[in-house]
Amino acid sequence: MDWKRTREPADAWHMTDDLHVEHGKGDPFAAAIRATRMSMVITDPRRPDNPIVFANDAFLRLTGYERHEVLGKNCRFLQGPKTDKAAVAQIRTAIEDNADVSVDILNYRKDGSTFWNALYISPVSNDKGEVQFFFASQLDVSDRKRSEHRITADKDRFEKAVKERTAELEAALEAQTTLLHEVDHRVKNNLQMISSLIIMQRRTIKDEATRHSLATMLERIEALSTVHRRLYQSKDVSRFDVSDFAKDLVTDLLTASGRSGIKPKLELDPIVISAEKATPVALMVNELVTNALKHAFKEGPDGTTAGRIGIKMSQPDGHFKIEVSDDGVGMAEANGDASFGMRLIKSLARQLHADIEWRDAGPGTKVVISMPNEPQQKGLSHD
Amino acid sequence: MTEPLKVLIVEDEALLAMELESLVEEAGHSVVGWATSSAEARSMIESTDADIAFVDIHLTDGPTGVDVAHYIGEKKRSMVVFMTANPKRIPDHFAGAIGVIAKPYTMNGLTSALRYLQEGVRRPPPVSARPAGFTLSPAFEAVWAPAA
Ligand SMILES: Cc1cc2nc3c(=O)[nH]c(=O)nc-3n(C[C@H](O)[C@H](O)[C@H](O)COP(=O)(O)O)c2cc1C
Ligand SMILES: Nc1ncnc2c1ncn2[C@@H]1O[C@H](COP(=O)(O)OP(=O)(O)O)[C@@H](O)[C@H]1O
Ligand SMILES: [Mg+2]
Repeated sequence: MDWKRTREPADAWHMTDDLHVEHGKGDPFAAAIRATRMSMVITDPRRPDNPIVFANDAFLRLTGYERHEVLGKNCRFLQGPKTDKAAVAQIRTAIEDNADVSVDILNYRKDGSTFWNALYISPVSNDKGEVQFFFASQLDVSDRKRSEHRITADKDRFEKAVKERTAELEAALEAQTTLLHEVDHRVKNNLQMISSLIIMQRRTIKDEATRHSLATMLERIEALSTVHRRLYQSKDVSRFDVSDFAKDLVTDLLTASGRSGIKPKLELDPIVISAEKATPVALMVNELVTNALKHAFKEGPDGTTAGRIGIKMSQPDGHFKIEVSDDGVGMAEANGDASFGMRLIKSLARQLHADIEWRDAGPGTKVVISMPNEPQQKGLSHD
Repeated sequence: MTEPLKVLIVEDEALLAMELESLVEEAGHSVVGWATSSAEARSMIESTDADIAFVDIHLTDGPTGVDVAHYIGEKKRSMVVFMTANPKRIPDHFAGAIGVIAKPYTMNGLTSALRYLQEGVRRPPPVSARPAGFTLSPAFEAVWAPAA
């Protein structure tokens, strides 16, 4: 052991004990360390097992020991069964490497009670770079640790609650989706059955007028069916692609009429409307197209009919505009304000807050419907 | 004249099966059987020589329509077209089926689909336009309606 070669006298720390007695004389720096409320110790690595050579009053207050009980001992006596082995190892490595270390470690007082020690250890070297002492400060951070624990516990509890709630909501959504599919399935099947009933009934009827009524009724129900078939094909069940629907409807009505001489002219911008507008719009378009088919074209001498039915859907300045036109006989001779088809169209227009106008298209008729429509969201119509 | 089709109907709803039968016959084809469950469908596919089976997904013994399609596909004697209000339940590979007629179909939609299928089965690929409400499986889309 080579005490005497260092600059400090070997009994430097005993001097501080003297200072305690003779307060105010000697080294004021040492006096400050003696008196501070921060717990501090100094150990001597050149003695066997790096024992404490100085401990201030704050350390004794913190740990509950007497000075003579701690001097000459290695600080590990503060550790106990619940002290984290990894934290101890971290300190050991730092001391072996003569490095600083700052670690929170669980320590035990003399009475066996525990406290969280925010320990900071650093080596003190002489001019030649040899480590002479280790200096350490201890801060009781039990309160901070407790709240840290509480925060972690709160966080865990919160996360668990969120997880549970999410699972509940997912289950509820799953149930809702299943229910929606089930209801959708039934609605579609029932619409199919209604159509089937009408078709079967119609087969048994001889009277032309009644047959005609049933056919018209079937067309209307099939327009509703087409709406429903299309409604749940998109991912967003609250939006309805009206242009795709119109294409389906017109193709269907034209081929059903069996009049290949009548050609459709479709100018359909992709337009999406809200689902609740789908049914009235569909019924209205159905009425107008069937009217054109039924009333606009005269049979030629060869028994065939030729002509054109146009449908245009566009969305100028936030208005949804539908035009159904034909190049047929026009409506000059029509007297049908009291007829059911016209009444239906007008009522549906009112429901939709739509303006509707029959124009003489010379030749033929052009019906123009214009209604307010919410702004289009890109990408909705074709996903 | 293209030869008419022999049709097997696999549908649990009597009313729909009845009406489908009439429409098939009105279009000049014949109905060789009506099955309401997957077991019935299996035995009928053995005992009849149907060209095409219209298979609903939901049958009296549950959502077994896809299994029925698989079974028919393995026998390789008949082709399958799904006919369902629940097209989302059809697997992506369509279990080998030609496609799906989505319910509710229109009377004309069905008639057009029958014509289209007749052409496709007898003299593929079909020449008429694909009817609204009829969707081809990806495999048949590639053969019957290749992108130009
Ligand atoms: C100056 C100094 C102060 C120390 N203070 C404490 C302390 O307050 N609490 C503690 O648990 N360990 C403290 N230690 C750490 C132990 O003394 C010892 O180095 C540690 O337990 C690792 O060594 P070991 O594995 O031989 O026990 C201190 C070490 C030094 C050098
Ligand atoms: N596009 C059209 N071209 C010629 N006449 C038409 C057209 N649309 C409607 N009409 C006339 O208006 C009348 C009323 O039509 P509507 O109320 O739908 O009754 P319905 O179609 O049952 O006769 C028709 O009977 C027909 O005379
Ligand atoms: Mg009318």
